[in-house]
Amino acid sequence: MPSNEKLVLALPKGRILGEVVPLLRRAGIVAEPGFAEEEARQLRFATSHAGLDLIRVRSFDVATFVAFGAAHLGVAGNDILMEFDYPEIYAPLDLGIGRCRLAVAAPAEDATREDPARWSHVRVATKYPDITRRHFAARGVQAECIKLNGAMELAPALGLCRYIVDLVQTGSTLRANGLVEIEPVAEVSARLIVNRAALKTRPEEVSSWIERFREVANAA
Amino acid sequence: MIEPLHPALLPLGLRDLLPPDAAAEARAVAAMMAVLESHGYQRVKPPLVEFEESLFSGAGAAMAKETFRLMDPVSQRMIGLRADMTPQVARIAATRLRKAPRPLRLSYAGQVLRVKGSQLRPERQVGQVGAELIGADGVAADVEAIALAAEALLALGVVGLSVDLTLPPLVPAICAAHALTAAEAEAVRAALDHKDAARLAEVAGPAAPLLGRLLAAAGAAPRALAALAALDMPEAAAAERARLAAVVRLLAARAPELSITIDPVENRGFEYHSGISFSFFAKGARAELGRGGRYIAGNGHSEPATGFTLYTDTVLAVIPDPEQARRIFVPPDASAAEGQRLRSEGWVTVAGLETVADIAAEAKRLDCSHALIGGSIIALAAGAEG
Repeated sequence: MPSNEKLVLALPKGRILGEVVPLLRRAGIVAEPGFAEEEARQLRFATSHAGLDLIRVRSFDVATFVAFGAAHLGVAGNDILMEFDYPEIYAPLDLGIGRCRLAVAAPAEDATREDPARWSHVRVATKYPDITRRHFAARGVQAECIKLNGAMELAPALGLCRYIVDLVQTGSTLRANGLVEIEPVAEVSARLIVNRAALKTRPEEVSSWIERFREVANAA
Repeated sequence: MIEPLHPALLPLGLRDLLPPDAAAEARAVAAMMAVLESHGYQRVKPPLVEFEESLFSGAGAAMAKETFRLMDPVSQRMIGLRADMTPQVARIAATRLRKAPRPLRLSYAGQVLRVKGSQLRPERQVGQVGAELIGADGVAADVEAIALAAEALLALGVVGLSVDLTLPPLVPAICAAHALTAAEAEAVRAALDHKDAARLAEVAGPAAPLLGRLLAAAGAAPRALAALAALDMPEAAAAERARLAAVVRLLAARAPELSITIDPVENRGFEYHSGISFSFFAKGARAELGRGGRYIAGNGHSEPATGFTLYTDTVLAVIPDPEQARRIFVPPDASAAEGQRLRSEGWVTVAGLETVADIAAEAKRLDCSHALIGGSIIALAAGAEG
């Protein structure tokens, strides 16, 4: 279907962006100068494709922009997709970048002493209250979640909670704060996501981008 | 102490429609209903509330979680405030109109209330306009329902209308043919709902290759049909596929301005559908304008049915603003006959109740585009504040 409106691809600031940029380059998308500058005030960037713009937003907001159709495509970790479970987001492609895992961690001394089978209630600091609640509920444990936006690793030492649920890449941040990983929650990698209505109403354009990213991701 | 409520505050998801939106909504509903009625779909008007047993029977079961319920002090039974009108119309067809000749064509328009809005439709009270075609099982009935919905939307000037066809029984048939357990089939469903190819490959077991290709087949109709035709499907699924191809062929001939896409694994909102189903999208629409499809109607003896519901609020958001009616201020000294003549010529008259010095200024204050001054129609300059 012909349409004059540009497609918007939402990309996450921070952790994943460094790995996305080479992927874009291989897909033949060259952003206008300024895109790679972390401090740039500009938020929307033209690309070498007249029909495609990039926006750079917080990783959690990528999902929100795409879910509401403000962006048509996006790159988001499945941690974020699991947390929001937006019905309007399709995740047709695992880009295989930004790999890490979501895990439960606790102070080293608790981890050896505790028997998780006896829990009925835990207090957990996390950026992912929904995933955390579901994870513990599935084994009959009620999780009281304290939503934090960063520095999760501080919470147990300062008595805010006993456990945290957070992304673990190498485990060095956990170790530095006297925490150990107790159990995995989910494997995480970045996905190419698309807005449902965009895929339905502009199937050719959106599908051709999915295909292009599929070729690039598989070749990597 | 409870903070006093601001008098304008409404409960979450409810709103007032003001001028000119309320009139625009009424006109849009009337225009869509006129199309349905012109095709022989006779209007029914079920009540706002009814016993929950009847509201949640058959296809209505899906709405149980969405429905406000209350105790009827008269019958001492639970009654529900309708969250969807389709089950009410199916009930009417199966009971009071069970002896009416088939195929039975019914239409309806009304407001429904939901316990919770969705992400894209936070409104809890929404308007529905719909039609049901009951007691007809053929491809012709499928095509009629889709073409009729398209005609009603196009009559309102919807731009870039497209219909996305799906086959809700397809995936269950494939899961059954590959002997997937209920839990596995559910995991497959969840992966397909998010079009998550990576997850699908993990959970679908022996059905993974076929379902993966099915997932990739979605898209514009000609491409999708070709992709589907190339798949080796179990017998039940192949029959559905043949029917889909027939519907697309007939629909393309009947409604050439409608773009058709196919998504063979779409399931959300179609849990109770038993055959070809569809959603309408338009350029600039965040969500579907309406949806419908084949289901089994009736309690006791069941009969095949198809139909659709259009979401008035979503439709209104994408249609062009209606032309502003020409409002003319008629001062009190004009005769009643003069006002009548203006209205018969298509004017909206706004009568002055008291004599004013500056008629033009008074007309502007009352949001009129024209004024009747000294017996002649004077256009008022736009913009300049009177």
